[in-house]
Amino acid sequence: MPRCYGVSWPRVFDVVTAPENVTDSIRTLLPQIKKTNELQYWRRVLRMAALCHDVGHLPFSHAAEKELLPAGWDHERLTREIIYSDEMQEIWRKVTPPLRADDIVKVALGPAKAKSLSFSVWEEILSEIIVGDAFGVDRIDYLLRDSHHAGVAYGKFDHHRLIDTLRILPSPGTEAPALGVEEGGLQSAEALLWARYLIYTQVYLHHVRRIYDIHLRDFLKAWLGSGKFSTKLESHLRMTDNEVTSGLLAAARSKKSAGHDPARRIVERDHFRKLYERNPLDVKKNAEAASMIFEAAEKEFGSANLRLDRYPPKGGSHDFPVLLSDNRIVSSVAASSVLLNVPVIVAEFIFIASDLRDKARAWLDANRTSIIKAKRKKNG
Amino acid sequence: MDRFKKTALLTALAEGLKKRGSWCGETHLQKATYFLQTLQKVPIGFEFILYKHGPFSFELRDQLTAMRADGFFDLHQQWPYGPSLIPTEKSKHFRQQYSRTLRKYGKQLNFISDKLGKQNVSELEKLATALYIRVKKSSQSESQRAKYLHSLKPHVSLDDSLRAVKTVDGIVKLSKGASA
Repeated sequence: MPRCYGVSWPRVFDVVTAPENVTDSIRTLLPQIKKTNELQYWRRVLRMAALCHDVGHLPFSHAAEKELLPAGWDHERLTREIIYSDEMQEIWRKVTPPLRADDIVKVALGPAKAKSLSFSVWEEILSEIIVGDAFGVDRIDYLLRDSHHAGVAYGKFDHHRLIDTLRILPSPGTEAPALGVEEGGLQSAEALLWARYLIYTQVYLHHVRRIYDIHLRDFLKAWLGSGKFSTKLESHLRMTDNEVTSGLLAAARSKKSAGHDPARRIVERDHFRKLYERNPLDVKKNAEAASMIFEAAEKEFGSANLRLDRYPPKGGSHDFPVLLSDNRIVSSVAASSVLLNVPVIVAEFIFIASDLRDKARAWLDANRTSIIKAKRKKNG
Repeated sequence: MDRFKKTALLTALAEGLKKRGSWCGETHLQKATYFLQTLQKVPIGFEFILYKHGPFSFELRDQLTAMRADGFFDLHQQWPYGPSLIPTEKSKHFRQQYSRTLRKYGKQLNFISDKLGKQNVSELEKLATALYIRVKKSSQSESQRAKYLHSLKPHVSLDDSLRAVKTVDGIVKLSKGASA
């Protein structure tokens, strides 16, 4: 989606390439900025990449993507296949000047998901505008949009101020050009990264939302013929949330249907309940606390009644260049203690069938300390 | 290699770099791990591509963040640069459980710490990129590799690129001698 809630993707491009915002050293390292024709080409590439960025998503977006696609596939690979498809290539060819599909893939997916393509510094920066860890516009957009639709305030921040202060700056230490901010936008960047932390912990990683993903995954594994979504583009594009919702309702009504149990749990809201959640005290004692409790609980209550859910940490520290008012350029983490201290987003849950919840909680209260204390035999 | 062995090796590498004077930011650890894996053949199992300041592994970045979440690294401010990754007391106790792994790769860890511990981020970018190019374009001459490095990293001058290529060739020679 190129624009949501006032976030305009090309606007970021216009801000960071505006002559008054680019220093001579950056102009030398990124000659594209000096050439009007090239700038126009890349602006179009960025726009198309932004439009295509999410086209590979499965129904219900990220829910259980790993388990529901064949090995080696993810939604980014589907996005890539769509961009390279004959139908889309025809569109790229008709644009004046024609757009190279490779360029769109690179900017839409970034180096992490387009590993087979080599990126110039310029292309790295353009992909940062869309998928960047610190302030990719995809992130700006989904935080604002999801906050609005979920009816929460966590994801909101002053994105207008942030976008106006984005700059391409030399990185402290190496001088490599990178996407950064002027000092005046640092607080907006802090607000974005805290907003992200808060919406993850309060919405995306809310335990009830997570268990519904797991029930949906269990349903889809049983309901889809092969247990996987098709990666054929026609089939992928035809399979929408509507098809899945319709299948889910039908399966919930019929005990003989594949995936009846998880479908019924979703429709009747009889979801598994939270038995355990990762917490700093247990992690301090044993980084494997959640998996050890899960293994012990499986022995006690049976695998079918339990689910282990993990959201592993992703991304690095929030390190990007900041242009200070006295023209020095420093790392954002050096300039901001707030950014240094944004907690790592991580979650681990153990869920149990609702009828066993009380018994399991009593069992956990009695055994938690001894389970966590027992160290695995290391073979190191 | 499982994530706990990786944790032991990465915190040991950070300690080694720190002892040689490094302030040990994420870039230091990324490039040192690249050397450890590529040059010293320690099978730590990360996929590196050419990206931020040279060879970069997204899996390693996520692993370092997971290690922070598990209390094996703390972040410290390092004006005017990015943060230092400081191994915690917990990591010290943890490494004791992996003494066999650390003994097995001790020589390699020391070699990399000795060679890279005193290098700043700018030098590490050049050296790690030069090694990456050496691996990918092994048949090319020094000047061809230097030109290629300069084309990939335009902020690195041609003279500096050539110096980095020569330094890396020297490190590779020493590495072969050390492992012989």
